[in-house]
Amino acid sequence: MQPSPIQLSVRNVRKSFHGKAGEVRVLDDLSFDINARDFVSIIGPSGCGKTTIFNVIAGLIEPDSGSMHYLGEEIDSLRGRVGYMMQKDLLFPWRTVLGNVLLGLETRGVDRVEAEGKAREYLKGFGLAGFENAYPKTLSGGMRQRVALIRTLIMDPDILLLDEPFSALDYQTRLYLEGVLKDAVETYHKTVILVTHDIDEAVALSKRVVVLSGRPARVKIVHDIDISASSPIAARSDSRFSGYFHALCAELDIQTEKTA
Amino acid sequence: MTITLPGTAPLPKRKTRRARRRFNFDTSLGRAVLQAAAVIGFFALWEIGVRAGWISAFLVGSPFGIFADGSKMLMSGDLVSDTWYTLFEAILGFVIGTIFGSLLGLALWYSAFVARLVEPFIVAINSVPKIALAPIVVLWFGTGLVSKVMLSVSLTAIVALIAAYQAAKDADVDLQSLMISMGADKHQVFFKAVVPSTLPSIIATFRINIGFGLVGAVVGEFISSQRGLGHLIYTASSLYDLNTVWVGLFTLMIMGFVLYYVIDIIERTSLPWKQSNTVHQVQV
Ligand SMILES: Nc1ncnc2c1ncn2[C@@H]1O[C@H](COP(=O)(O)OP(=O)(O)O)[C@@H](O)[C@H]1O
Ligand SMILES: [Mg+2]
Repeated sequence: MQPSPIQLSVRNVRKSFHGKAGEVRVLDDLSFDINARDFVSIIGPSGCGKTTIFNVIAGLIEPDSGSMHYLGEEIDSLRGRVGYMMQKDLLFPWRTVLGNVLLGLETRGVDRVEAEGKAREYLKGFGLAGFENAYPKTLSGGMRQRVALIRTLIMDPDILLLDEPFSALDYQTRLYLEGVLKDAVETYHKTVILVTHDIDEAVALSKRVVVLSGRPARVKIVHDIDISASSPIAARSDSRFSGYFHALCAELDIQTEKTA
Repeated sequence: MTITLPGTAPLPKRKTRRARRRFNFDTSLGRAVLQAAAVIGFFALWEIGVRAGWISAFLVGSPFGIFADGSKMLMSGDLVSDTWYTLFEAILGFVIGTIFGSLLGLALWYSAFVARLVEPFIVAINSVPKIALAPIVVLWFGTGLVSKVMLSVSLTAIVALIAAYQAAKDADVDLQSLMISMGADKHQVFFKAVVPSTLPSIIATFRINIGFGLVGAVVGEFISSQRGLGHLIYTASSLYDLNTVWVGLFTLMIMGFVLYYVIDIIERTSLPWKQSNTVHQVQV
């Protein structure tokens, strides 16, 4: 166990959905802890309930039972305090790049001039200066996802919830954005939970990887990743990279055999 | 070393270009020429038919008669004042009906309970031919301007209401979830995520509703009125003055035509984020 304090703890969370085919138990007694400044990746078979976990943390759905603690204090959810980024960039098509970045600050009622100054600064920092007045549909997938990342970061959220944010992008763009994300997380000292189906990405970016079992989701094993590379690309050439990669593959493979 | 491919099918030969360049009619000028020719041909046939006695001028009028009547009415100013009057009624009805209907439709987003409660009533009201209300509307609102506007409103409001409500229901749930995770309240979700996403659907109703606005105005005038193109057409037809009826009809047609293009411009300029700078069309 690391000495850093636990920032978010999820305890015994259960959630079922009532669909046409009867009750589906998605989360069954799920517990895990996220440390301050942690970078945790969650991997697991698709449909096992990873998005559901995020929705519970973000306060979009209520769990049937269980509790959450933030810095030791019991909370219902982190609504308004998380930066939730999904696979789809979810940019508002009728808003310009600047307007999209401003969305959260507007919602919070931040002074317009101040917010705009901050937004322009962020856009410049992420290499999007000059695109302030462009509409999302004129941007490439990588740029759109970068705008979505800025929109998330500018809110200064307590925890970033990233749900397969790069999975719709091509490999090169993904590698590039992994680097952007890693830099941003270090610059702004953020705690990150990343859901990914890309083991490679999980190992290259994370400090810890949580492997979930198939539905209902339970924590199968937590791997600490001890690679101190300067970038996700450099991490891939670390001597320990392939060891972690194969260990995680094995974890998932056993499951796929079981559930198949 | 040579490689011989086994019997491959020959590639289709490039089509040889036609030697003579033909006039391409599929340009704006070409189309305008064809369209003008069709209109002139139609009126010429009509006039010839009447003069040759194939068709009765008493029942269908004649182009020259229409032209003569029309210019007389234009000179006296009657036609212009009737046109403005009907146009005013139609636009007023369209604007009030569209705003009222859209606001009501959007408001239904706020309460799923109320929406489900009133849905059958909306369907019921929508299935009534609103034109059948005309006599009552005149009874209630008199023979002046108000009754025509109200008739237009009753026609346009329901269309806008249904479109706005449906669009609000279909608004992207993920965008709304994202806002909620940011800590937005219901009003913020409504104004920032729902309303903007309904605008294309609401604007798309303008095209239908401007027509309904005119229908309401003209039918209202048919029932009872002292002015307007509907009044003009109704009184002229009761006097078997077919040429004057046609003047009224053609004026309505031109009015509808102009309004359609005005709406088209509004549609194209009001949503800059929807505009694409390229035209994709598949050539078949
Ligand atoms: N709102 C919902 N209603 C019913 N079933 C749902 C709902 N959301 C998710 N599910 C079901 O819960 C399971 C887990 O979904 P999800 O959390 O999206 O999985 P993952 O993100 O791990 O792929 C899936 O089987 C899905 O069909
Ligand atoms: Mg998912």
